[in-house]
Amino acid sequence: MRTVVLILVIFFFAPVVQARMTAETIVKDAFDYWRGEASVSTTIMTIHRPDWERSMTIEAWTRGDADSLFVITHPAKDKGNGTLKISNGMWMYNPKVNRVIKLPPSMMSQGWQGSDFSNNDLAKTDSLIKDYVHTLADTTLHQGKTVYGITSMPKMDAPVIWGMIKLKIREDHILLSETFFDEDLQPVKTMTAWDLKMTGDKLFPMKWKMQKSDAADEYTQLVYEKIEFKNHLNNRIFTRTHLKNPGF
Amino acid sequence: MLVRLAWRNIWRNPRRTLVILLAVIIGVWSMIFLGAILRGMEAEMLRNAMSNLTGSLQIHHRAYRDDPVVENSMADRDKLDRVLGISLGQGAHWTRRVRVMAVASNARHSGGVTLVGIEPEKEARISFIGSAMTAGRYLESGDKNQILVGRAFLATFNTKIGHKLILMSQDIHKEMASKAFRIVGVFSAESEAVEKQFVFVPLSQAAGMLKMGESISEISILLPDLDMTGTQETHMALKLTAAIADDTYCVETWQQLLPMMKAYLEMSGFFLYVWYGVVFVAMGFGIVNTTLMAIFERMREFGLMKALGMRPLQVVKGVVAEAFFLLVLGISVGNILGFLSVAAIARNGIDLSVLAAGAQMWGIPRKLYPEIWVQDLVVAGLVVLVLGVLVSVYPAVKAARFTPTQAMMKN
Amino acid sequence: MSMELKMAWRNIWRNPRRTGLTISAVAFASLILVFMLSFQFGCYETMINTSVKISTGHLQVQAKGYLEDKKMRQVIRDPDQVATRLDTVKGIDAYTFRANGFALVSSDQRTYGVVVTGIDPLGEAHVSTIQSLVRTGRYLTANDAYAALIGAPLAKNLKVDINDEVTLLGQGRDGSIAAAVLTIKGIFDSGMDAMDRNVIMMDLQGFQDIFSMGKTVHEIIIIADALGDVSRVQQDIRDQLSGKREDTDLAVLDWMDILPGLLQGIQMDLVSGIIMYIILIIVVAFSIFNTFLMAIFERTREFGVMMAIGTRPSRMATLVMIESVCMTLVGIVAGIIIGSLLTLYFQQHGIYIAGTEDILKQYGIPDRLYPRLSLISASAGPLVVFLITFVSSVFPALKIRKLNPVEAMNHV
Repeated sequence: MRTVVLILVIFFFAPVVQARMTAETIVKDAFDYWRGEASVSTTIMTIHRPDWERSMTIEAWTRGDADSLFVITHPAKDKGNGTLKISNGMWMYNPKVNRVIKLPPSMMSQGWQGSDFSNNDLAKTDSLIKDYVHTLADTTLHQGKTVYGITSMPKMDAPVIWGMIKLKIREDHILLSETFFDEDLQPVKTMTAWDLKMTGDKLFPMKWKMQKSDAADEYTQLVYEKIEFKNHLNNRIFTRTHLKNPGF
Repeated sequence: MLVRLAWRNIWRNPRRTLVILLAVIIGVWSMIFLGAILRGMEAEMLRNAMSNLTGSLQIHHRAYRDDPVVENSMADRDKLDRVLGISLGQGAHWTRRVRVMAVASNARHSGGVTLVGIEPEKEARISFIGSAMTAGRYLESGDKNQILVGRAFLATFNTKIGHKLILMSQDIHKEMASKAFRIVGVFSAESEAVEKQFVFVPLSQAAGMLKMGESISEISILLPDLDMTGTQETHMALKLTAAIADDTYCVETWQQLLPMMKAYLEMSGFFLYVWYGVVFVAMGFGIVNTTLMAIFERMREFGLMKALGMRPLQVVKGVVAEAFFLLVLGISVGNILGFLSVAAIARNGIDLSVLAAGAQMWGIPRKLYPEIWVQDLVVAGLVVLVLGVLVSVYPAVKAARFTPTQAMMKN
Repeated sequence: MSMELKMAWRNIWRNPRRTGLTISAVAFASLILVFMLSFQFGCYETMINTSVKISTGHLQVQAKGYLEDKKMRQVIRDPDQVATRLDTVKGIDAYTFRANGFALVSSDQRTYGVVVTGIDPLGEAHVSTIQSLVRTGRYLTANDAYAALIGAPLAKNLKVDINDEVTLLGQGRDGSIAAAVLTIKGIFDSGMDAMDRNVIMMDLQGFQDIFSMGKTVHEIIIIADALGDVSRVQQDIRDQLSGKREDTDLAVLDWMDILPGLLQGIQMDLVSGIIMYIILIIVVAFSIFNTFLMAIFERTREFGVMMAIGTRPSRMATLVMIESVCMTLVGIVAGIIIGSLLTLYFQQHGIYIAGTEDILKQYGIPDRLYPRLSLISASAGPLVVFLITFVSSVFPALKIRKLNPVEAMNHV
């Protein structure tokens, strides 16, 4: 009898544990794949609003889970504007002002450069790994590849605003979409990625879009002009000096 | 002799006496009643202001008031404990707080708030928050990530009890600190601004989030009695400053913390006494008029007294003494009426919530309980008595001037 | 009737002292009410005008929704076109453009979030009092594109002084970065905490450059010739702007829309004032009631005689009533005249109440208060006094009807 129960328990719970393990791995792998050990990229960001649209070119460096540097290179008006993020701190630089300013908490939830990506989205991109518990919700087939649907619920005391995140990750670690929900589980915004291309030895989506759920004509689109994954980047890149003077 | 004569004279014509009495009574009653309402309003405003996280006294780091950041906090918790334990008398309460500007956000909303870390049990004895919960529950000693928000905040952030709120602020090392809290209770306050401004969390959690260790932003002290003049607070501030003997800490009274309140109280007290004067003048015309008429009615009597050899000064004294008795009687009855009417309203208070937004702007409470001050009674009584006696001199002098012939000619 | 009137008038002056005192009481009450009401109205007008002059204006033209959302992109697209329309509306004293944005302002040591307001230095000087509120340094001039005015407490918090630089970092209308270094040229102190702690002012054109506003603005602040004209001017502007397709997304707001608390605060004060006046009037009414009643007692004999010779009691009651009304009227007229003269004097010279500076300062009011005489303030109080004294004279008059001629004649 006892063995039967034990077997039943194993039978019922093992898949759950396993699914979670798998989901955790899938997300972690996708995240690592997305960021690489380190990357250097050029992106065109287009912010679309009902009454205007604006584009800029951004040079970006990322390293590991926590460090990043973004510098605008075009248009001329915004050229040299940059944002540096090291672990939990964030700084901005503006050439017109010629001063590095540490972002206070009040700015963290504002959109970065007026886009639909908030400073928080940028500063906390690794929070998806740290702060959520992932479960595999479904598995579908898309263009001959398996796509994992993953539901990520925030951990008990995690300092994150979302009530739930849903991810679609392809079996080759490519993140296809990420939808953010509030605590009532209503969608707030969705990020989608498409246009997969080989960059170096890696397949990577060249186009990204963050779309507000309740306003069809408000979105921000990122188009990668080039992206290069590296094994490591110099510490010197992620400094305030470099933020001020990125060398172009 | 004079006194007894005057007393008897008053009651010779009870109808006339009652009429004058009525004027005095109404006047005195109105002064007491108005005074009680005004004082009730003042006391309620002061109590509200104090309970709105001010208290009777506060202790801060010297630079905190000008620059309220976590760096300007007080580290020596033991010393403050010791000093407060010794210096504060019976019945006084005190509590520690961490208070810092922060940003609260959820999935759709984000905005600036004041994050207040409190010691739930001690705080409840000092500020409004202990008895302001409209839904959910108050903080308890074992709480960790629980947070209290205002009713208006709940509406603006479109959230509810049980939902999460992320708070962000700069910690003591100027690093970004953030922490998730769960709304456990909703409070209401006198004003919407307060409901939107403050969120309350356990002290240890705020300190932990901001890496403050044992440091605190402020100590708020509530003395047992309400002193609208602020004298006891000033004494206590001096005593505490001396006991702390460290000029990085700064003890301030509510008068220093709320200079507007102080100015307002002074002005409204002054205004009340001006109004007493105005009411007296209105009443004074009636007193003079009625007394004068009484004098003319009694012209024969005065003439007779003069003929019998009474000196003019004695006549004046007699008439003034009559007025004095009437006034004393009127003041007494007026006081009794005042007490009764104030007591009648004081039971339920006066509801001012109709004008809520205006009341908020002017810091006037929504509910008003009249309060009688001995000082106002004395002033009202003295104003009526002294001025009343003074104005009765005029009819008295008139009476003293009647010549016997003039008096006999009447009729 | 005219006979009675003549009789009543003569009767009144049979006892000039009593009549004088009664009239004085009525006059005093009327005078106080005229003065106090004018004083209150004057204070309200000052409060409104100061609030209006420090920040909001009597009227504002804004994009619809800007009042609630304060979003940077809710702009008036073509302010100059609106301005040409405004020029055709009568009763506008002055108007000016403003634009607002949120930004971080930092000095070497501190960073604070503030509202940056772009003002047209010349136009603003006609509309608001900001020029006179600059306590240290100077006001902006036409060429001060990158100069700033800052509130005293904010300057203290940032630890900056005149000619120091502050860095501005925010978001432009199109979401681009708005950044600038501004030199502080003036420090203002309006007394209004919210403004002094949270606002930085700079030149409108500089603002438009930094915040990518182009030619657009957020608010057109309008000052009407007089407070009383505001609603008419508001309607006229609406009429002017309506029907033009490009202007349908504009809202014309008055100060009550922009500062709802102020109006309710005023109503609140008025109500508490009225309670005090009612108490005063009751006291006066009793004084007068007394006098009337005593007068009746005194004249009991006279009434007895009149009844004996066949005068009907109702006729005598009418006579007494006419007497009271005459006295009250004289008192009221005297009260209104003296009260008005007194009010006019202080309207010229102002009233200084020691110890009120701090409170007044909070509302941005200078230390002198000016009453303001109006038809309402001159008539409302006295009218109530008249009604109450009339009512209080009815009871004594009714007493006459109950007189018994024989008893009355024997009355001493």
